[in-house]
Amino acid sequence: MNPLLRRLRHDLFATPADGLITVALLAVIGAGGASFLRWAFSQARWAVIQANSTLFAVGRYPMDQQWRLWLLTALLAAATGITWGMLRSHPRPDRGGTLWPRNDRIAVGLLVVLSLLLPWMLGLSLSIQLRWLSITAVLVLLRWLAGRFGPQLPAPFKRLLPLGLPLLYLIGMVLIGGGLGLVSVSPSEWGGLLLTLLQSSFAILLCFPLGVLLALGRRSELPLLRWGSVLYIEFIRGAPLITLLFLGQNMLGFLLPGGLAPERVWRAAWVLTLFAAAYLAEAVRSGLAAVPRGQLEAARSLGMSMPQAFTSVVLPQALRVALPSMVGQFISLLQDTTLLSLIGLMELLGTARTVMANPAFLGRNAEVYFTLAVLFWCCCAALGLGSRALERRLDPAAIARSG
Amino acid sequence: MSQPSPSTLSSSAASPSDVMIEARGVEKWYPNGYHALRGCDLTVNRGEVVVIMGPSGSGKSTFIRTFNALEDFQKGSITVDGITLSDDLRHIDAIRREVGMVFQQFNLFPHLTVLDNLCLAPVLVRRRSKAEVRQQALALLQRVGIAEQADKYPGQLSGGQQQRVAIARALCMEPRILLFDEPTSSLDPEMVREVLEVMQNLAADDITMVVVTHEVKFARQVAHRVVLMAEGEVVEVAEPEAFFTNPAQERSRRFLDQIL
Repeated sequence: MNPLLRRLRHDLFATPADGLITVALLAVIGAGGASFLRWAFSQARWAVIQANSTLFAVGRYPMDQQWRLWLLTALLAAATGITWGMLRSHPRPDRGGTLWPRNDRIAVGLLVVLSLLLPWMLGLSLSIQLRWLSITAVLVLLRWLAGRFGPQLPAPFKRLLPLGLPLLYLIGMVLIGGGLGLVSVSPSEWGGLLLTLLQSSFAILLCFPLGVLLALGRRSELPLLRWGSVLYIEFIRGAPLITLLFLGQNMLGFLLPGGLAPERVWRAAWVLTLFAAAYLAEAVRSGLAAVPRGQLEAARSLGMSMPQAFTSVVLPQALRVALPSMVGQFISLLQDTTLLSLIGLMELLGTARTVMANPAFLGRNAEVYFTLAVLFWCCCAALGLGSRALERRLDPAAIARSG
Repeated sequence: MSQPSPSTLSSSAASPSDVMIEARGVEKWYPNGYHALRGCDLTVNRGEVVVIMGPSGSGKSTFIRTFNALEDFQKGSITVDGITLSDDLRHIDAIRREVGMVFQQFNLFPHLTVLDNLCLAPVLVRRRSKAEVRQQALALLQRVGIAEQADKYPGQLSGGQQQRVAIARALCMEPRILLFDEPTSSLDPEMVREVLEVMQNLAADDITMVVVTHEVKFARQVAHRVVLMAEGEVVEVAEPEAFFTNPAQERSRRFLDQIL
């Protein structure tokens, strides 16, 4: 018998009961899959997605300014390529390491196929199809260059390179919002995936330091700081996000004098940030609790000050432990941005609702929601993949196994 | 040979400038009201190796942890290398820079390589150049016999190796005093010897050592003086030969009967 058959038989049909379960499950999966395919290819009318792809991507962002977003996308692709290449730039050929591990080759292949297929399926014009293709080419080219020549860069340059990412975020903000000579585009004109990603990345970046500070505050020996942190965390965790969002829209206007109250979009971003910080604080607290007391004692006995001991000994270990639950928080934060549609923001779900309200696309809800689910799944999967890679990098035991 | 009371003997040997640690009437209560130290006196001279023994719960660890302010105390005074311990944080940091400590559980930093475990504090606290500290760290690892493990992580080493790294880490701060809190108690028997050998070599230098341990052989061969503690008090301070063959106190005799 050939090995594949033997393996199948061993895994799926080892006993009569196993065989029964296998057959039953195959039937369910087959039936489900078939009816999904029937829907996707014969009943569904994907024109609703094709006609509104720009709306889903960037909302009502002014047409004549959209080159800024293309530039930003190209910059992001370049940064991704460089980061990816630099991470792979120290292969250990003696241990089977290579510049292009199998998974990387698969990822590049998928990227190229998607960049060819998706724009074509969305019915985009040839020039835009070419644009996506060249952005992908930039990514892959820089991935290759950074992997090949990255290690030969001068050391100070390599040390400064990570600073490029926060810088890129600021550049992105200017490109999106205007300023420094660019025409201003008001936040009320941002929408779709652009707004979803902006809101969640802003909240993720800012809730992280806030959450760490809150977690440290909760363990502080100063009673005022400790009780303040506890009160804040428990209050926020006790209230549903949607009430806080409405509260933020109404109250920030009263609390801050007219001109100072941030624009609606920013108000929502701040509420999201402050909300996520409370949950993140709890994740960090569990990480802090996992670091044995002896670590702080050892650091202190070596003469380190409290801030030194925390930043170089306790926090790195605590954050490593807290990383999986922190990423869980980030993922639910990303999904929570859909609530912003309820306060009238045009993020992905908000955009989808306007599209479905359009009489031309009546009854095409399933196609829209399905697309939305896939988009969110892609973003969350990317976050999850990134976090697992980070976890492996930070885990001394895994480093030990691979090296 | 009979001994006078502990406090007179402990300060008899050296002139005041040679005193490294001077503890007078140290009393400590834990927050739950437990009276852990009941008026402990001890004087340790420069270059001296003092071994503290005693049954568990006698306050030995608590006592030496007051020397670098890992534990606070409520009454009495402690002077380390001329600096009097007080609530003043600058004094505490100054003392901790001069006093190294080796723990029962090693307490190596698991997220750093062996070499980085050694280099972290000298670079952060003493603001020395990384290259220079690296050289010194490698020399120290050589000295404790694990230079080839420099790039490994603590989790990849045996207990004995980890404790030797911990000793090297403490030495890398160039302390004048080293405190050992039961350094071999959590080691497998076959690893105890390699750690004791390192400590014995250290004792030959002029570094001052205070060692809490149950290792009688080490106390006999290496210690200049042996201290017996029981129920939070210093019961006896004596030279090792006298202590082990003819202890002055009845309490010491009972303790030795149990462990020998």
